[in-house]
Amino acid sequence: MFFKMITASLVRRRSRMLVALLAIAVGATILSGLVTIYIDVPRQMGAEFRNYGANMIFMASSNDAVFDMDTVQTGIDKIEQGKLVGVAPYRYETVRIHEQPVVAAGTDLSQVQTTSPYWMIDGEWPEKDEEMLVGQNIAESLNLHAGDLVNVMGPTEEDSEDQLNFGVDIRVTGIVETGGKEEDYIYMSMADLETLVGEGELDVVELSVSATAEELDRYVKTIESEAEGITPRLVKRVTQSESTVLGKLQALVFLVTAVVLVLTMICVATTMTAVVAERRKEIGLRKALGASDASIMKEFMGEGLLLGGVGGILGSVLGFVFAQFVSVRVFASSIRYQPLLLPVTILVSILITGLACLFPVKNATTVDPALVLKGE
Amino acid sequence: MFLRMIRGAFARQWKKMLIIALTIMLGTSLATAMINVMLDVGDKVNQELKTYGANITVLPKSASVMSDLYEVEGSSDDTGSYLLESEIGNIKTIFWAFNIVDFAPFIDTNVTTDGGSETRLVGTWFNHHLDLPTGESLDAGVNSLRSWWDVDNGSWIDEQALEEDERAAMVGAVLAKREGISVGDTIHVKGAEGETELKVQGIFDSGGDEDEQIFAPLDLVQELSGKDGYISSIEVSALTTPDNELAEKAAKDPGSLTIAQYELWYCTAYVSSICYQIQEAITDSVAAPVRQVAESEGAIMDKTELLMVLITILSLIGSALGITNLVTASVMERSNEIGLFKAVGARDGAISGLFLTEILLTGLVGAVAGYFLGFGFAQIIGHTVFSSSIEMKPFVIPIVAILMLAVTLAGSIPAIRMLLRLDPAEVLHGR
Repeated sequence: MFFKMITASLVRRRSRMLVALLAIAVGATILSGLVTIYIDVPRQMGAEFRNYGANMIFMASSNDAVFDMDTVQTGIDKIEQGKLVGVAPYRYETVRIHEQPVVAAGTDLSQVQTTSPYWMIDGEWPEKDEEMLVGQNIAESLNLHAGDLVNVMGPTEEDSEDQLNFGVDIRVTGIVETGGKEEDYIYMSMADLETLVGEGELDVVELSVSATAEELDRYVKTIESEAEGITPRLVKRVTQSESTVLGKLQALVFLVTAVVLVLTMICVATTMTAVVAERRKEIGLRKALGASDASIMKEFMGEGLLLGGVGGILGSVLGFVFAQFVSVRVFASSIRYQPLLLPVTILVSILITGLACLFPVKNATTVDPALVLKGE
Repeated sequence: MFLRMIRGAFARQWKKMLIIALTIMLGTSLATAMINVMLDVGDKVNQELKTYGANITVLPKSASVMSDLYEVEGSSDDTGSYLLESEIGNIKTIFWAFNIVDFAPFIDTNVTTDGGSETRLVGTWFNHHLDLPTGESLDAGVNSLRSWWDVDNGSWIDEQALEEDERAAMVGAVLAKREGISVGDTIHVKGAEGETELKVQGIFDSGGDEDEQIFAPLDLVQELSGKDGYISSIEVSALTTPDNELAEKAAKDPGSLTIAQYELWYCTAYVSSICYQIQEAITDSVAAPVRQVAESEGAIMDKTELLMVLITILSLIGSALGITNLVTASVMERSNEIGLFKAVGARDGAISGLFLTEILLTGLVGAVAGYFLGFGFAQIIGHTVFSSSIEMKPFVIPIVAILMLAVTLAGSIPAIRMLLRLDPAEVLHGR
């Protein structure tokens, strides 16, 4: 009987219930959408901040320690998988182009693209060995252009002027512009540099790690104590500034979410109140027919529960769709689904609906049915 | 008669009207707050991103081509590879002067310390007070340009508080540790053109090369190196608009633009146009964007703005649906009244007029209250997050007003029309 009354009332009063359902669904959509975004934004924004480039560097801990890729790997292993965006090792040596000394950096150029995404390349990134990038200052003073084939030679050795030192022909694929020191170097693959100057050790390794300031500090401590031969350091300029700015952005999204949620929830509550208040006559009639206050209350609450539940489910789905849309549009990556948010959204919807109904129903039941029916 | 009926409606049905006014108020405040925050968020985030330091460096023309190339630094004695200290203030006279947030000149020289080791001594401004020809005055220098430095030991140098003969310096953490320097010590340094005693006022940890250097006021270092009135570079921190195609084209060669394009470019705060203007203001200089900062700034600002726009749209749709919904519900509720009006012979136009006037009047009260509430919310957000107030743009008022009017009408007109179409007998019967 109870269930029949609830469903019947929902079906018969279709348009009004639609209004109520819509209100709840809108509220639930905003709730689930904004909260999903709020939870996931720090991660997404953090990834954006990796545009600033490397935030950690490894150096040899002492002059005589072996510092090569194997040593570096022991340090990298201490960093959680998935947090590491890129690792670019650098080895600096002096080479000669057109008999002029030039500092060449041997590195892994595909990794440099991830650790220094801000480099402006006039031309292309090198894709294989025997291709290199040239800093803008060097390109200007030596008159090099993208596409040129350049003979690069190792350092002069006075006593061994033999036939070995012909150097290597390397193609310039692009000119690097950064507005910083990078414009004074040339960048080639590690293998090419080894051909030119022989084997040697790395000077520095740049790492781009997507992690919070505390996590980075922890990594530095573990690597310092557990990985032999590596002195890890944070690039303060990047880490410090990132935590300041990211903190602000998080606070912004939090406050905006809070304001929007509070206002929307009140909005939903007023709509529900209006919808229920309209049914004063019905309540009066039922009381006149001898229904108890409790049974009327129970019925209205049941209706609210059903509406809140359906609206909540609808809103959760729509909210997730919205959050996904925002994430794809803004960050070009999909958002993480928050499973806990589904029950929370439904619960909050039911709670708001219940609270909103409570007041007008109580109001109507306390009044004498005769007065209510008369329309006063 | 019309007025009396309206007054009557407000007097007798104030509870219902209150709910409508309340909902419209909430919707309006939401729209006002979100639109204003959204419009201002770019500027605010831009300000915050200034913690990354300078995004433009200005170098002397000859130095920018050859510097570092042969690893022989500071050997050229010709003044052509220096900038003039007297021209620094010109930066604040360019077209986009208002966007220049901070700047600091630098000159460096190699000095020998007590321990006999060679160290780089950098002369700069810490919080230099500058009176501009325009009548403005400002404090510029590394105290704000190097916001990421940790000065746990001692303090930043306050140039304005220094005595005439006081020679203060700040020492990098790595150097301080190696040489056993602590705050309050006096270190003796010998430069190319003289020697002096420096009192260590602070030890900083920059997490970079600067940890091996000593920083001291500009004039002191000029004196030690014999380069009075000269500086070797200027770092400038400017608020910029993210680059677009036009800016990229102009950055390569401003001469390739048409006159209209050139004007648009020159009058937009692109990093390339600010660089160009700085070059015009300082003789023989080359100003170049620091890509690490300039590029990333653009990306982060774009993302934040887009994010805020989408959140704003969602909340606008939410509040619009909320208001439409409530207004529809409140009109439907009064079907009996409409039926009665029709039964006593009122024309459809008169009924619609009466209802709309009632709702719009209520809405107006709610919207005005909502605007001020929204103003409050925007300021709360501004002060909590950015510790500065959000600028309330006047053109937001008509936008919000039109939006609210449209939303209210969209909620009431279809409902009224639907009820008017019904037979009064049926409505009164309670179907």
